[in-house]
Amino acid sequence: MSSCARRWPGVPASFVEERRKAALQTYEAEAVPTWRRSGFWTTSLRGLDLDALEPRRYEGGLPQLDLGDDQHSALIVQRGANVVHTDVADDRLIVMPLEQAVVEHEELVREYFGKRLPHDESKFAAGTAAFWTGGVFVHVPANVQIEHPIQIAWVIDEPATAQWAHTLIVVGEHSEVKIREFFEAPDFEGQALHSGAFELYALPGAQVDLAHYQDWGRGEVYDLSTRRVEIRRDARVKWVPIHLGGRLTKQTLDIVTAEEGSDMRHTGMYFTERDEHLDLFTSDRHEAGHTTGDTVWKGVLTGESRASYEGLIHILPKAPEVDTYLQTHQMLLSPKARGDAIPSLIVEVDNVKASHGGTVGELDEEQIFYMMTRGLPRAEAVRVLVEGYFEEVVQRLEDPGLEQLVRRRIAEKLKGAEDQVREFIGERAEAV
Amino acid sequence: MTLEIQNLHVRTEDREILHGVDLTVKRGETHALMGPNGSGKSTLANTLMGNPSYEVTEGRILLDGEDITEADPDERARAGLFLAFQYPATIPGVSVANFLRMAVNAGREEPIKVKEFGTLLRENVDLLKISGDFTKRYLNEGFSGGEKKRAEILQLAMLKPAFAVLDETDSGLDIDALRIVSEGVNAMRTDDRGFLIITHYTRILGYVRPDFVHIMLDGRIVREGGAELADELEEKGYEFVREEVAGSAG
Repeated sequence: MSSCARRWPGVPASFVEERRKAALQTYEAEAVPTWRRSGFWTTSLRGLDLDALEPRRYEGGLPQLDLGDDQHSALIVQRGANVVHTDVADDRLIVMPLEQAVVEHEELVREYFGKRLPHDESKFAAGTAAFWTGGVFVHVPANVQIEHPIQIAWVIDEPATAQWAHTLIVVGEHSEVKIREFFEAPDFEGQALHSGAFELYALPGAQVDLAHYQDWGRGEVYDLSTRRVEIRRDARVKWVPIHLGGRLTKQTLDIVTAEEGSDMRHTGMYFTERDEHLDLFTSDRHEAGHTTGDTVWKGVLTGESRASYEGLIHILPKAPEVDTYLQTHQMLLSPKARGDAIPSLIVEVDNVKASHGGTVGELDEEQIFYMMTRGLPRAEAVRVLVEGYFEEVVQRLEDPGLEQLVRRRIAEKLKGAEDQVREFIGERAEAV
Repeated sequence: MTLEIQNLHVRTEDREILHGVDLTVKRGETHALMGPNGSGKSTLANTLMGNPSYEVTEGRILLDGEDITEADPDERARAGLFLAFQYPATIPGVSVANFLRMAVNAGREEPIKVKEFGTLLRENVDLLKISGDFTKRYLNEGFSGGEKKRAEILQLAMLKPAFAVLDETDSGLDIDALRIVSEGVNAMRTDDRGFLIITHYTRILGYVRPDFVHIMLDGRIVREGGAELADELEEKGYEFVREEVAGSAG
C-alpha cells in the first residue's frame, strides 16, 4: 500500500502507457474528421482551432457548480486537466482520480479499462486514450445500496482549454446506486474542447440509475465524446442524458444489454439555441436474448441551431426474445432552426419484438389556442407546452433536486427564445 | 350586461360558413343554440373565442358593450368569456391541477394562495363527483369522452366566467355523466352569468332548462322561441324546420 502511494503519480502501470502509445499513433495518423449523412447534414470541426488549445492545471478547490442535489455519497470534480476536489462520504465506495486508481487498484482497472472503448475507433477516441489526465474511477462493491448519488463533474472555465476526459465505473453484483455526471462551463469568449470517454459496467444483478447533465454555457465548447454502458445478467440501467448546451456536440451513446435478463431504459433530451450544433447517435445494442429496453429522446430547437438525433436498435444474431422500442421526437421553435430525427433498426434474428418511430414537428396551433382560451398569453402557453413536452423525460430522473435544475434551465432558455417563438408562430397563424 | 353577436359573417380558408348571425345573451339567461351537424354551431363557438382559423368578414361581437371581435383568445378569456370545447386539446405533461392553477392565476392580479386554491378545487371536484387522482393526470391525455367533458366543466366551475359557451358538452355522455354535468351547470346558473348551450339533441335541455332556444340552419338562425321550441323540435325534427323555412321563403 505504501509503495503504491509513493508510486502515484510517479510511474503509472505499463498497460496504460502502452495504450497511450498505440493511441497516439492512431491520433497522429488520422485526419480531423467531418461527418456527413445523406441530405443536408454535416458535422464539421473546421471552426475549431485545435492547435490553440492546451490542458490547463488548477490548484485544488471546489469551483462553481450546479448539481441540483445538496447531498452526495461522493463528489469528484475535474477542472481542466486535473481533479481539484474529491469527497467520499460513503466509505464503502472507491471514488478517485483514474490516474490514482491505475496505481492503487491496478487489477480492477486493468480488467475493465477500455474494455468497451477501443482506442483506435476514431481520431478523438484515440486522442482521449493518448492524452487523458486526471480522470475518474468509481467502484461500487457488490451487495450494497448507496442512498445518495455519486456526483462526477467536469468543468472547463477558461477558453483555450483542452480537456481529455476518461470516466470508468464498475458497479458490483446486486448493488444499487445513483450516478450523475455533470459537464459545465461558465459563459466565456473563446474556444475549448472536451473530448470524453465514459464506460460503465453494471455487473450481474446491479441496479444503476445514471444521468448525464451537460450545460457548456455560451462559450464555444466543442464536445466530442463516446459513452458506453454494458449491462450484465439481470442487471438494470436507467440512463437519462440531458443536453442543455454546447457550441458543437458530437456524441455516441451506446447501451449494451450483454447478457440474458438485462434491461435498459434510456430517456434523453436536448434543447439547442443560437448557433449550437448537436449531433447525437445512440444505440441500443442487444447482444443476448431475453433482454429488454426502451429508448425515448425528445428535443427542442430554437435560434439558428442544428440538431440531429439518430437512434439505432441493433439486435444481434444470438439474441432472440428481445423486447425493445425506440421513439424520438423533435420540436422546432424557430423558422431558422434545422433538425433531423432518425430512428433505425437492424435485427439479425427471428422472434423478437422491436419497434421504432419518430416525429419532427412544430408546436400545435390547436393546443396553443386551447390554452389561450383559458386566459394564458401566447408566450406562456408556448412555455407550458414545451415544459410539458419535456416532462416525460424530466420525471424519469426521479430526483427532485436535479429535476428542479433541469426545469429551471428549460424555463430560462424558453424565456430567451420568447421573441423568435412569437414571431414564428405569428407567421404561421397568419398563413392559416 | 350582455354578450351580443351582431350580423356575424365568418369564413374559413375556402368558404363562408356563417351568413349574418344575430344573437344576444344577457347575464342571468340561458340560451340553447340548436342545429344539425354542419349548420355552423361550432364555427360560432370558435369565433366567439377567437380561433385564428376562422375569419370574421362582417359584423361584430360585443362583451358588456366592448367590441372584442379582434381580441386575442386570452384577452376574451380574461374579459369573462369561456368555451367548453366539443373536442378539447390534449396537453401532455401538464396535470389538470397545474393547468387549473395557471388558468385561475391568469385572471388575477395576485396568484391564488395554495390553500385557497386547494379548497376551491376540492369543492368543485366534489360537485362534479370526480375522483381524487383525476386532477393529477395530464390534461385530457388518455381521457375518455366523458372525462374530457367533465374536465371542461371543472374548468368552467373554477374560472367562474361571466358568459359560458358549451359546445356539444352533452354528446358522448352516458345518462349518469349527463346528469352530473347538468347538475354542475345548474349550480353555476346565477343572475350574473349567461349561458349559451350548443347542442344537436334536446337531451341536455331536459336537465338544463333554457330560457330561449335558437335554431341554426346553414349558417343562419332561422327560428327562435322559448323552451317549448326545443320540445317541438324533439317531436318534429330538423327536416320539418328546414321545410318550414323553405316554404316561408318561397
